[in-house]
Amino acid sequence: MSKVALTVNGKPVEVEVEHRTLLSTVLREALGLTGTHIGCDTSQCGACTVHLDGRVVKSCTVLAVQVQGQSVKTIEGLAPSFDASGARLHPVQQAFSECHALQCGFCTPGMIMAVTGLLQDHPQPDDQQIIHGLEGNLCRCTGYVNIIKAVKQAAQMMQA
Amino acid sequence: MSFSRLEDRRLVTGAGRYVSDWHLPGQLYAAFLRADRAHARIVSMDVSQAQAMPEVHAVLTAEDTQRAGFRSLPCAAPIPGKGGAELIKPYRPVLAAEVVRFVGECVACVVAQTEEAAQNAVEAIVIEYDDLPVVIGAEAAIAPGAAQLHPNIPGNLAIEFETGDAQAVAAAFAKSAHIVRLDLHNQRVAGNPMEPKGCLVRHDAGTGDYFVHVCTQGTAGMRGQLVATTGIADEHVHVVAEDVGGGFGLRFNAYPEYSAVMLAARITGRPVRWVASRSEVFLSDEHARGVSSRGELALDAQGQFLAFRFDFLNDMGAYIAPTGPVVAVLSIRACLAGVYKVPAAVANVRLALTNSVPMAAYRGAGRPVISYMIERLVDQAAVELAIDPADLRRRNLIPAHAMPWPTANGLAYDSGDFPAVLEHALEVADWTGFEQRRTQSAAHGRLRGIGLASFVEATGGGAGPDEVEARFGGHGEITLFAVSHSHGQSHETAYAEILSAVLGLPRERFRLRNGDPAVRLAGNATGGSRTLHGVGSALRVLADDVIAKGRELAARALEVAAADIVFADGRYHIAGTDRSVTLDSLIEQHSGGAVHPLDTRSSARTGGTFPNGCHVAEVEIDPTTGVVEIVRFSAVDDAGTILNHTIVAGQMHGGITQGAGQVLGEHAICDRQSGQLLTGSFMDYPMPRAIMIHGLTLAEHPVPTPTNVLGAKGVGEAGVTGSLPALMNAILAALRTAGVTHFDMPATPARIWGAIEAARAGDARRFAYDRAQ
Amino acid sequence: MYEFSYVKPASLDEAAQLLANHDDAKPLSGGMTLIPTLKQRLAQPSHLIDIAALTELRGIEVTAGQLIIGAATRHIEVATSMTVRTALPALAALASTIGDPQVRNRGTLGGSVANNDPNADYPAAVLALGATVHTQRRAIAADDFFQGVFTTAIEEGELITRIAFPLPTRAAYAKFPHPASGFAMTGVFVAETGGRVRVAVTGAGPGVFRWREAEAALADRFAAESIEALVVDPSGLNADIHAPAEYRANLMKVLASRALRAILNSSEGAVA
Repeated sequence: MSKVALTVNGKPVEVEVEHRTLLSTVLREALGLTGTHIGCDTSQCGACTVHLDGRVVKSCTVLAVQVQGQSVKTIEGLAPSFDASGARLHPVQQAFSECHALQCGFCTPGMIMAVTGLLQDHPQPDDQQIIHGLEGNLCRCTGYVNIIKAVKQAAQMMQA
Repeated sequence: MSFSRLEDRRLVTGAGRYVSDWHLPGQLYAAFLRADRAHARIVSMDVSQAQAMPEVHAVLTAEDTQRAGFRSLPCAAPIPGKGGAELIKPYRPVLAAEVVRFVGECVACVVAQTEEAAQNAVEAIVIEYDDLPVVIGAEAAIAPGAAQLHPNIPGNLAIEFETGDAQAVAAAFAKSAHIVRLDLHNQRVAGNPMEPKGCLVRHDAGTGDYFVHVCTQGTAGMRGQLVATTGIADEHVHVVAEDVGGGFGLRFNAYPEYSAVMLAARITGRPVRWVASRSEVFLSDEHARGVSSRGELALDAQGQFLAFRFDFLNDMGAYIAPTGPVVAVLSIRACLAGVYKVPAAVANVRLALTNSVPMAAYRGAGRPVISYMIERLVDQAAVELAIDPADLRRRNLIPAHAMPWPTANGLAYDSGDFPAVLEHALEVADWTGFEQRRTQSAAHGRLRGIGLASFVEATGGGAGPDEVEARFGGHGEITLFAVSHSHGQSHETAYAEILSAVLGLPRERFRLRNGDPAVRLAGNATGGSRTLHGVGSALRVLADDVIAKGRELAARALEVAAADIVFADGRYHIAGTDRSVTLDSLIEQHSGGAVHPLDTRSSARTGGTFPNGCHVAEVEIDPTTGVVEIVRFSAVDDAGTILNHTIVAGQMHGGITQGAGQVLGEHAICDRQSGQLLTGSFMDYPMPRAIMIHGLTLAEHPVPTPTNVLGAKGVGEAGVTGSLPALMNAILAALRTAGVTHFDMPATPARIWGAIEAARAGDARRFAYDRAQ
Repeated sequence: MYEFSYVKPASLDEAAQLLANHDDAKPLSGGMTLIPTLKQRLAQPSHLIDIAALTELRGIEVTAGQLIIGAATRHIEVATSMTVRTALPALAALASTIGDPQVRNRGTLGGSVANNDPNADYPAAVLALGATVHTQRRAIAADDFFQGVFTTAIEEGELITRIAFPLPTRAAYAKFPHPASGFAMTGVFVAETGGRVRVAVTGAGPGVFRWREAEAALADRFAAESIEALVVDPSGLNADIHAPAEYRANLMKVLASRALRAILNSSEGAVA
C-alpha cells in the first residue's frame, strides 16, 4: 500500500492504495466519483476518460500511484460552478444536451471529457479533426451524428 | 426553445446511477469460473483450495443451485410449431452441472471480500474436462451425424415453424414466368451496450426478500424470469433499476449470473455485487442474428410478384434464451411479404442448437433478417429481369387505398402509404442524379453504387396491457411509475411531454421512477419499439382519468355540478363564466397526505402496428483496398404521429448506424474447430466509430395508425431494419460494376477486395473467405 | 491484476539497478500495452519500475544531422514538436496516427519500440530510417534491433534511452488501420536518406521487416509506378480472421504507392 496525494477537481486529496489500483478505481470507489465509467477492459471505449494535468487519458489504464502530485479533472468537476441544485453546465455539457448527443448516457461523461480535450487542441475543429479526436471513444446509441453536431455547437459557444 | 431531455442534466454531469454505481454496506464481490471450452463433460471439480483462500466467503457450484431448488432458465415458443409441434426445451442450469456447452458458460461462482480475491479464487478452482465434439454454425448442427448438445433434442433441432400457405405458394411458382433465388447469411453479432451487465443483490433474512439491482429493460419481465429460475416466490423478488446504459434487446432476459448472485447473497448473508468485464460481456451476453436463409421469388412476365418462399435456419446457440424463439419466428411472420401485394408467401423457420452463446433479441429482433432477405431478393430480381429497382418495387407495392391490408399469412397491416414513402425517398436521395455522381466517382477510381430498401416494421402489441401510475402528493412533483425501462430511449421526457400537453402542467413537474420495487405494475418491458404506443397510450388514458377526477375536485371547489365544468390548458372553467380553478392549485390543495385524491393507476392495451420506410444508401468503394465509404444515406420513415422529432431522429441515427456496423464488419466469429470466440474484445470486434455515415438525411412521412390513441408507431428499430438491406444493395450495385455478382455481409475491406479480385480473375472461389461462423 | 510493487526510481542508474535486482521486474513507461496486459492477468511482474519521468529519457533535439528523441517522449510530444515537424515531418505525422488521443497522451516512443508489437507504427519508422537505438549500455542499429514478433535485441535489464534518426531527404508513412484496434493492419514507411532508399513494412508480417524488392525498384526509379509493377509473394505474410495474406500483400503495394505519391506531391513528407 502507498499513500498518493493528488488534486481532484481542484481539491487536494490523499488516498491509500494498493500499487495495482487503477486511477479509475480510486475515482469511482474511494472518492465516489461514479461519473467516470468503465465500459471495457482493453482501453478502447474511452468511457473512463478524464483529464490528467490537462490532457485526456483513460483512467482505467493509469495506475493511481503513477499520478502522485498530479491534477485530475473528472466529469463532476467540469462545470465551472456546478452544484446539485442545477447551476451552469460547461458549454460541452450544454451542447450535448441541446443537440441530443446522448441517449443512454453511459459513454457520455468520457465522451464529454474527450471533446473538451479536443476543443483545447482544436478550438474550431473540422470534420476530420473531430473524427480523429473521438477515435478513443465509443458510443453505441447515437450513431455519433449528434455528437459531432454538439462538438461544433460547443466550439461556437466557447468562441463566443 | 432549445432541445433538452429531462434525463440529460444528471447524465451529462456524471450523476446518473448505473448498476455499477450502487454499493451497499458490507457488500461482497462475486466472480465466475467460466467454461474455457465449447463442449465438454465435467469430469471433476475441486473447489477446496479456492474455498480455503483468505477473504473467500463462498464458492457455489451446481450442487448449491440444485440444493436451493433452482430450475432451468425459462424458455418458450410464442406460437406452435409445424403441425402443432412444441418447442423441445433444453435444460439450462444457472451453473453447469455435468456438461459445458459454450465458451463462457458459468461453472462456479466465488464470493469474496474483494474483486481481486474473488478472481484469485476462481483461478484456484481445479476442474477436469473431457472434451466433446464441437458444433459451430446451424448448418453443422443439423447435419447428419453432428454431435448432439442435449439428450432430449435429436438432431439439435428444437422446433420448426411454418407461417403462410405452402400450397398456394407452390401453385404460384408453378405458373410463374421467372423464379429468383438467393442464399444469404445474416451473421452472428454481439450487441455490446456500453454498460457491461451486472447486479447487486441484498437478501433480507428476516422477510426473505431479495432486492436485485440490475440492468434491465423492464422490471416485471426480469422478475418473472428470476422467479421462474430460482423458485423464490414472486412477492419476495424486488427488481431495482435506475439508469441503464443501453440494452438493444440484450438487457431483457435474466442472465444466469443474476440468479447465482441471489443465492450467494442468501448464503453469505451479505449483499453481493457482480459487474461483468467487457470480455465477459462478449462471452456471456446473448448474441444475435446468425441466420442462414434461402429466399425465392416467383414473378409473372410483367414483373408482378406472385409468391415468396423462404427458409430460415437459426443458430440459437447452446440453449434457448427466453426471447430467442420470439425473435426467430414472430418478426418473420409479421413481415413475411414486406411491403408487397404478393398473394402467397410462406416461410419455414428452424431453430438449431450450437456450441456458442445463446441468441436473443438485438435491435430489430428478426425484422432485419426478413427485410434483408426480401429486399436483397427484390434487387436480385431487378437485375435478372433488367428492370430498374425502384420501378420493380413501384409495380408491386401495396397501394395506400388498400389499407388495412390483409397479408398473405393472415395478418393485417393497419395503415401506411408505401408508394408515397418510396417516391419521397427517391426524391430526397436524388435517385435520378445518381449516374452523374457515379461518373464523378469513377473519375477518382472509385466504384459507386446506390441501393434502396422498402420495408415494413412490426412494433409490438405486447404480451399484455401496460399499467401506469401517477402520484400527486409530492407538493408539486408528480411521480410516475411504469414498467418499460429506459436504456436510452428518453422515456422520462416522452412520458412527461405526453402528460404535460394534456394536463397543461410544465413537463419538469413529472418525475419518472421506473425501477422502483415499491410499486408493482403489470406491463411490458422496453422492446419491439413499443413503449411510446403502449405506455404512451396508457399515459394518455391516465391523463383523461386524472382530468375526470380533478373535475370532481373542481366541482366542489367551485360549488357547481361537475357536468358544468370544462377543462382546458390546465384549468377547470365553469362553462360560460370566467370562474375557474387550476389543476395545479387542486394538486397543491390536496397535497401532504399519504394518498392524493388525484392518484391514478390506468392501463391500456394497444395493438401492434406496422411502421415502414424506404431507405436509400449510396456508397463508394476503393477497389485497391476494398474500403467502403457510405457517402449518402437517405431515410424516409412512416413512424405514425411523431411527438418529439429530435428524439425520433436520434433513434433513427442510432439504428441506421447499428445496421451499418453489421454491414461493414461486426461479426462474432466462433472458431469452427474449438468454438472459441475469436472476436472477443474491442481490439478485434469493430464497433462503429465517428463518422461512419456521411450525408445522412432523414425525412418523416407520417401516416397515423388507428391502433392507438396517439397515432404513434414504433421507431426504435426501423433504422437497422432499413439500413441493412439498403446498404448491402448499394454495395452490391457498386461491386456489380466490377463484375461481382454475389456478395454477402460483412463487407469488410478484405472481403470486398477479395470479391473484386475473384471477379477479375474469373474465379469466384479464389480469395473466397470463410464467412459463416 | 496480480499484485506487484511499484517503484519510481530517481535516475536511470537506479532504474537499471532495480531491474537487475529483481528477476521479474518490468519497466513501465506509458503503460499503454503493459497495463491492459496486467489487467487481463496475462503477466505477473514482481515490480514495475516507472521510468516515464526520468530526465535521461526525455528531450527532442537535432544534432549532427540526426533527430534524437528520448525514449520516454510521449507520442503527442513527437506529433506536435516543432523540432520534429521541421526536421522529420513524416515521423511527426506517424506519431499523430498512433492509437487515439488518450493513448498518444500517455504512450512513449521507447515503450512502443521495446515492445515491438508486430502491428505497431514506430518500428516501421525506426527501420526505414536506419535509426540507431541507444540503451544505457550500447548503440544498436535498427537492422539488428528488431528480431520478430515482440522480440528485440534488448537484453535483461537493458533500457532504451533514446533513438537517433538520421534525417532523410524525403520520407512518408502510409497506414491502413485495423477497423477495431486502430493498430496498423499494414503500414509502410518509405525513406530516402543519404541517397539510399529503405522501405519498412509493419503489420503485414511476423514483425517489422524491410521490403528489399521495393527498395531496389525505388533505387532504380523513385516513383509509385515502380511499386505498382512489383509482384508481392503473400507466403509468410500474416493471415487471420480479419484478412488473408493476399490482402496484406496487396496493402503493401497500395500503401507504398500512397507514401510515394505523398512524397512526390508535396514539399514535405506526410502520412498518406
